Amino acid sequence: MESASPFAPGPPRQRPAMVPNPTGIVRSMAPSPAPPPFGSAHPGSSHPVATTFASRSPPPGAIPQGPIAGNGPPVSGGFAAPRTVPPPWAQLAPPLAASSSIRLPTPSAAAIQDSGPQSFPGSPPSGASVAALPTPFVGPPTSQPFGRPPTSQSPFSGPPGSQLHFAGAQYSQRPMAGSTNSQLPLAGPPTSQSPFLGPPTSQPPFTGPPSSQPPRPNTPQPPFAGLPTSQQFGGPSTQTLTGPLISQVVGPPTSQPYAGRSSSPSHMTTPSSQPFSKPPTVGTSFGSPVWPSQPGQMVPSLPGNVQAPPRMFGMPPGMPGQPIPPVPPAMGHSALAGPQVSAQSKIDPNQIPRPVPSSSITIFETRQGNQANVPPSATSIFVVKDNGNCSPRLMRCTLNQIPCTGDLLSTSSMPFALMVQPLALPHPSEDPIQVVDFGESGPVRCSRCKSYINAFMRFIDHGRTFVCNLCGFTNETPHDYYCNLGPDGRRRDADERPELCKGTVEFVATREYMVRDPMPAVFFFLIDVSLNAIQTGATAAACSAISQSLADLPDGPRTMVGIATFDCSIHFYNLRRASQQPLMLIVPDIHDVYTPLHTDVVVPLAECRQSVEQLLESIPSLFENNKVSDSAFGAAIKAGFLALKPTGGKLLVFQSVLPSVGIGSLSSREAEGRTNVSAGDKEAHKLLQPADKTLKTMAIEFAEYQVCVDIFITAQTFVDIASISVVPGTTGGQVYYYYPFSALSDPGKLYNDLRWNLSRPQGFEAVMRVRCSQGLQVQEYAGSFCKRIPTDIDLPAIDCEKTIMVTFKHDDKFQDNSECAFQCALLYTTVYGERRIRVINLSLPCTNMLTNLFRTADLDTQFACILKQAASGVPVNSLSQVREQITNLCINILHAYRKFCATVSSSGQLILPEALKLLPLYTLALVKSIGLRNDGRFDDRSYWASHVMSLSISLAVPLVYPRMISIHDLTAKENDGSLSSSNIPLSSEHINDDGIYLLENGEDCLIYVGNMVNPETLQKLFGVTSVDGLPTQLVLQQFDNDLSEKLSDVMNEIRQQRCSYLRLRLCKKGDPSGVHFMSYMVEDKAPGGLSYVEFLVHVHRQIQTKMA
Amino acid sequence: MSEFVDLETQDGVRMTWNTFPGTKQEALSCVIPVAAMYTPLKPIPDTPVLPYSPLRCRICRSILNPFSVVDYVAKIWVCPFCFQRNHFPQHYMSISEENLPAELFPQYTTIEYASSPDTGPKMPSVFLFVVDTCLIEEEIMFLKSALSQAIELLPENSLVGLITFGTYVQVHELGFGHMPKSYVFKGSKEITKEQLLEQMCFFAGRPRPNMGVIAGPRDGLSPESIARFLLPASECEFVLNSVLEELPRDPWPVPADQRASRCTSTALSIAASLLGLCVPGSGARIMAFVGGPSTEGSGSIVSKNLSEPIRSHKDLDKGAAALYNKAVKFYEVLSKQLVHQGHVLDLFACALDQVGVAELKVAVERTGGIVVLAESFGHSVFKDSLRRIFQSTDYDLGLAFNGVFEVNCSKDVKVQGIIGPCASLEKKGPLCAETVVGQGNTTAWKMCGLDKKTSLCLIFEIARKDGPESISQHTSNQFYFQFLTYYQHSDGQMRLRVTTLSRRWVTSPADVQELLAGFDQEAAAAVMARLVSLKMEIEDDFDPIRWLDRSLIRLCSKFGDYQKDSPSSFSLSPRLSIFPQFMFHLRRSQFVQVFNNSPDETAYYRMILNRENVANAVVMIQPSLISYSFHSSPEPVLLDVTAIAADRILLLDSYFTVVVFHGASIAQWRNAGYQNQPEHETFAYLLKAPREEADTIMKERFPVPRLVVCDQHGSQARFLLVKLNPSVTYNSNNPPPPGGDIIFTDDVSLEVFLDHLQRLAVQ
Repeated sequence: MESASPFAPGPPRQRPAMVPNPTGIVRSMAPSPAPPPFGSAHPGSSHPVATTFASRSPPPGAIPQGPIAGNGPPVSGGFAAPRTVPPPWAQLAPPLAASSSIRLPTPSAAAIQDSGPQSFPGSPPSGASVAALPTPFVGPPTSQPFGRPPTSQSPFSGPPGSQLHFAGAQYSQRPMAGSTNSQLPLAGPPTSQSPFLGPPTSQPPFTGPPSSQPPRPNTPQPPFAGLPTSQQFGGPSTQTLTGPLISQVVGPPTSQPYAGRSSSPSHMTTPSSQPFSKPPTVGTSFGSPVWPSQPGQMVPSLPGNVQAPPRMFGMPPGMPGQPIPPVPPAMGHSALAGPQVSAQSKIDPNQIPRPVPSSSITIFETRQGNQANVPPSATSIFVVKDNGNCSPRLMRCTLNQIPCTGDLLSTSSMPFALMVQPLALPHPSEDPIQVVDFGESGPVRCSRCKSYINAFMRFIDHGRTFVCNLCGFTNETPHDYYCNLGPDGRRRDADERPELCKGTVEFVATREYMVRDPMPAVFFFLIDVSLNAIQTGATAAACSAISQSLADLPDGPRTMVGIATFDCSIHFYNLRRASQQPLMLIVPDIHDVYTPLHTDVVVPLAECRQSVEQLLESIPSLFENNKVSDSAFGAAIKAGFLALKPTGGKLLVFQSVLPSVGIGSLSSREAEGRTNVSAGDKEAHKLLQPADKTLKTMAIEFAEYQVCVDIFITAQTFVDIASISVVPGTTGGQVYYYYPFSALSDPGKLYNDLRWNLSRPQGFEAVMRVRCSQGLQVQEYAGSFCKRIPTDIDLPAIDCEKTIMVTFKHDDKFQDNSECAFQCALLYTTVYGERRIRVINLSLPCTNMLTNLFRTADLDTQFACILKQAASGVPVNSLSQVREQITNLCINILHAYRKFCATVSSSGQLILPEALKLLPLYTLALVKSIGLRNDGRFDDRSYWASHVMSLSISLAVPLVYPRMISIHDLTAKENDGSLSSSNIPLSSEHINDDGIYLLENGEDCLIYVGNMVNPETLQKLFGVTSVDGLPTQLVLQQFDNDLSEKLSDVMNEIRQQRCSYLRLRLCKKGDPSGVHFMSYMVEDKAPGGLSYVEFLVHVHRQIQTKMA
Repeated sequence: MSEFVDLETQDGVRMTWNTFPGTKQEALSCVIPVAAMYTPLKPIPDTPVLPYSPLRCRICRSILNPFSVVDYVAKIWVCPFCFQRNHFPQHYMSISEENLPAELFPQYTTIEYASSPDTGPKMPSVFLFVVDTCLIEEEIMFLKSALSQAIELLPENSLVGLITFGTYVQVHELGFGHMPKSYVFKGSKEITKEQLLEQMCFFAGRPRPNMGVIAGPRDGLSPESIARFLLPASECEFVLNSVLEELPRDPWPVPADQRASRCTSTALSIAASLLGLCVPGSGARIMAFVGGPSTEGSGSIVSKNLSEPIRSHKDLDKGAAALYNKAVKFYEVLSKQLVHQGHVLDLFACALDQVGVAELKVAVERTGGIVVLAESFGHSVFKDSLRRIFQSTDYDLGLAFNGVFEVNCSKDVKVQGIIGPCASLEKKGPLCAETVVGQGNTTAWKMCGLDKKTSLCLIFEIARKDGPESISQHTSNQFYFQFLTYYQHSDGQMRLRVTTLSRRWVTSPADVQELLAGFDQEAAAAVMARLVSLKMEIEDDFDPIRWLDRSLIRLCSKFGDYQKDSPSSFSLSPRLSIFPQFMFHLRRSQFVQVFNNSPDETAYYRMILNRENVANAVVMIQPSLISYSFHSSPEPVLLDVTAIAADRILLLDSYFTVVVFHGASIAQWRNAGYQNQPEHETFAYLLKAPREEADTIMKERFPVPRLVVCDQHGSQARFLLVKLNPSVTYNSNNPPPPGGDIIFTDDVSLEVFLDHLQRLAVQ
């Protein structure tokens, strides 16, 4: 190499979204290259909202920034977020606060925001008092019996107070229990600590508690010894049910106080911290006896102390705030049991853990002090600073510390997987991913394992060699890439080279990475024109959507489009002809299809835009009188594939009926299944398997030629999604399902879905591989792709939303202090025809401590993993088996925690790890989700299963546990953050007859109208004066009034957030639609499942059985 | 000989023997088979068209004719074939000797019946164009312009459809108003009629009847679904023209070392099935325009690889043409389908290469299709022929459809078969001879397509075994034929033409003169030509020269006048005198000497031979040569090299080509431009006369012959020389006359041939 520079500075490539940086070497991606997901309103629908919708990125300004607001990691800029902590005495009235928060969301929310900050200065009481005031009526005693002291915190979005508390707990616990579980004794006490206040002030309340722990013989309880620092950041991640307070602890391990994780082991030996350790242990116990369902078991075990304190054992009996005399822990359980049996109804459902959204933006640094930071919740809003590890959006692990051994992992029962979303959209204020061009020679790679150069590769020997962080091999540094090491042992140029300091970079691929020239962006539209599609307006909607979306296709001469229609035969169109009129070419042989032309079926958009538009306009009328009701779907996609075969590309299919003829035709299995009921129940899941292998075989061939299939199903009846979805599932595509399709309300979503599908950031002809450190190996990939060789997955197309789950297994042990690295490499072609390698790195510490596993467990990721595993089980096992599996998984995890991390004494309590406190709720919601409900239609379940397989984490949670807000009182709410701060638990208790509620799960949006709604409100929102006047098919219009505008804003915000237009459906009380709405109330007792409370009891009982 | 021509003028029939040999044995010894050349639709002036149904014999179903004996009193007629006595029906009651119905007029031995309007609807004729698109740009332009001309000429009420093909077959849906639309079928895959029914959505939106064969509106196909593909010419002219105008070449790339992928057979099969579905049983023509060899599908004749040559006669003889038999088999099946449906396949093969006429022959010939072979779609042979098909002038072809031909004969005469454009309907009867020639073993034949000139060659067999004594016992030695032809007239009407003939037996076996008197040399030559062609095609190891020579020798031995073993004593009766000459030229003709031609050309020549009448067949065998000079008025001259002279213009009509041959001096003068000088007006006239004559010939003839204008010693002169008797060759003793020419050949001349014949005949 003659050039001294390792980077051959090539001419900067122009590409719309790229901003070449001055050096010409490193290019950066503009923050949001993606066009807004939703464009102007579909002309057909008069949805006024859409325009405002146009810009995708949430306005940063809209969300109050500050450490306080979010429930996410409190860190911002290294400043440990102070959390408001209810003053000690506030706890005295926890129940008050709790109840008030639920009943009166508005005031409580206000309290959070306002009082929170204020409290820092050291005036906790004031904040607490606010919370307490509104609810004088709730007697403290009532709440206490349930061991739910921390209730007061829930209104405050639990986290604030709990943090401190747990921090301490963590330390203290380890020595004691040998595991990190934190039990939250009446939680109350710890909350009062505010980091800023300094120990003296805040702690007084605590002083008591430490000492109060009778059960722990060895707790010396030096009141404050060294606690302050450790407490603050120790972030014990466990939480008991009762102690919602704790939940936020996880993320924050920000700054120095916490610094050496390595130091933590040492703590284990230091009993000094114990005093706090107790309280901090967050395990809140639900008095198991509470539940009527288990009376038999529990009662006997109980000593019968009716007056048992409501709180857990951990509670120091002598807590100042506690009204109840200390009770020996063991007794505590039993004591609870007694009263609860008799008074179950008193359990306040408001106390149990629920997701608490935050509306604030947090800043997340992926690494700090050479340590991986635990990422914030996937559903929260955060801005990532990539300083070594990748953004958690791109890749995150179910465990933020890697178990050193497989045994440890299996003991924990937790799933171990990475969720990789390689093209995930960044937050607009994040730094773009930088593009690195190594010139001719291509990116530096380990010569043994072929992993790509990254920040964790260690340069040694003055930089002449480097050690691969994945396989440990020592490579010679290429001559061109040589650089001296600095005094800190890092290369001197490390900070200038993105690949050496960033978790995620993109390399420009050289010839070596191409088997052919990068493919152009090719889009082939296949439209159903059979009788049904024409009559329901699906064809017209599809044509109009395509026509409008053309504008959003990538510009340039390389963008190609093709159009074909099909019924019982396939109609191609020659779009490039002397005369403007296209030529229709029909392929009637649907058992042996072919393309009728060699060229001109797929044409450059730039040249033929006019004729394409003209054609799309005329298709509905061309087939106006079509009497063919058959659909040759299989043959049509085959034909479309053949048209795309030379180049590869995206095949977008609009399908309305069951494929009834030709290759891959299907039968109406659902009906057959119904008539054969007796066999149907046992064999029902077979209907969720593909009918045969034909489509699968085809799909594999498609994938081989880089053809990705997306299917838009606009059906009125059964279409056998189980079989159809195999094609998108194998080719990196996705299914969109509009059932039952309505020509009135669905075109808007169809258009926006299509538009987003075409315009979102995406890549073609991709190959992805995940590498990991020695000691682990990839077990399986799951998602929408095709796998032909064991190590790689082929993705004919990959977009910003597709997520791939990668599971691992141990094949060796890790050292306790080592780090385990993961590297995902995605080789793909951009829509502008550039070949790129995106390399995403994540390096996580390894641990031998189960406690650490639980503390750093990533609930959202784990849940997404469980969800995907459930979805993949749906076609294989019966529904009841799948439900049982996931319930058992939940139980096993909690049991592991209970057994190894919680104190012995807590046997009567249900103890939840803080990080996973929502696991039971999510599990319950999952059990009741469409895919796992007994009463679901087969297509709905198949769609659900296929949808879930490539779903991102941030959408997985809402899909199962939707968000509900009230909209009749939108104007009354605060202006900012109205969306996230006012979530209503999914329980029918919270639905009032005079209210209007909006429930969305990222896919559907249900608007529920009670039967007593104020006509004025109706008039404002819907333009009708009575509930009866509401249309069944809703097209939301914006009227000229505050409420309506507000609703539009809310809708837009949701849409932006979900990158989905949402299917609107109006539900009325007393209507089937109302019943449908109610089926989303997962916390209710339903014919198909337990109520939330019942479920917790069930889980607890199971754990106890296991323990015994 | 003129008497035979008169007979032909009256009934369209010429027979080899107009008096029949008395017994089977004697017939065999006559060498030339008893045969009739019949032109069913020959325009016969004054033939009445009767607007009522014919009267049939109760037993043999023959039709009342002038030879029937009528008892006017009893109102009874006796059938001359089976002697059955039939009562006249009520509406014939007024019959009397003075009041005869037309069919009993003695001069109306040929008469036509037309269906009355209420019995049969007029059916529009259907033209389905099947157009090759694997052509070079230039050819495709020629073809488009020829087609658009043809479309203008289409009868208004006729239905039109269009299929194009190349790698794929495209069936154009002309009835789709919104945009050009076509169904595309894979060329390499055969599509059955059932599949077509399914795939072209004929039953869209309606339940399809689940029984039996489905075809046509009567079986539930809606007229609308048919009207998608077949439209009245007047309605679709615009669409058709615009489709043709934009018709692209086959878009699939062809590697340099390969032939284009052309699926002729699949296209034709689809065309046949489409017609079978839409208009079964009513007159329709598939007009195939093919510009190259078929390389795709069951009917492919050669592989795509250019290094493999297209089969030659030698390959066929050696059985080295692997694809040939498969293709022929395919077209045989196709021909059966077409015959069953009553549809015609016309072939316009225009390419420098062979296109597979030899394979297609069976389908074209059995359906009575037209065939035109030319080098290019721009060639006048093609262009003018196509125009002739649709032009309604005096030379109108009189295309008729859907014919059925039936024969009735008196006892003792049987039918061996027909050589000609027809297909057996396999209607067996006592009339069928055991020996089968051509389409035999039947008394009814399908003629899907026929025109004014279509001529069938019926081969008869004399079945009578008993001697002449028995003849005398008969009251008369007369016997009868009746030819019935049902057909769809070009105006859409169904008609029946009846020709009833009477001939007589030779009374005594020894009466050679009587036999000879009825011998028609021209008809015999035509029949022999058809026979020898047929035998060459179907008999392995058949030696046509030897067979012709032996036949001629035997004929001359039987009918010649000579003393045994004395060649010089040999003479032939005038009735027989020019027959040897015909045989001489037949031996040299393209029908027998096939090795100068490609199998396609041979097939083409034979197909034309098999559908032409006697006069034209004779021209094909022995071309006519007319000399134009200053010395005399135009006069026929001997077809001999000695006819060539420097100051003569010769006009050769060999049917397929018309050659105007300028002698060397004439050519010089012409090149010097003398004809433009007023003083040489006669020269101008001399130059013009043969051209005008040639024009006349070309105007009448179909397919339009190729016109070759050439000069002595020019390269094109070979078209003349090849036909001439090589009496003067490079090694003959007699020098050519001054200004004459010689032929470089080792072929025997007519004199040598006749010498040998005399020698062998007298042995």
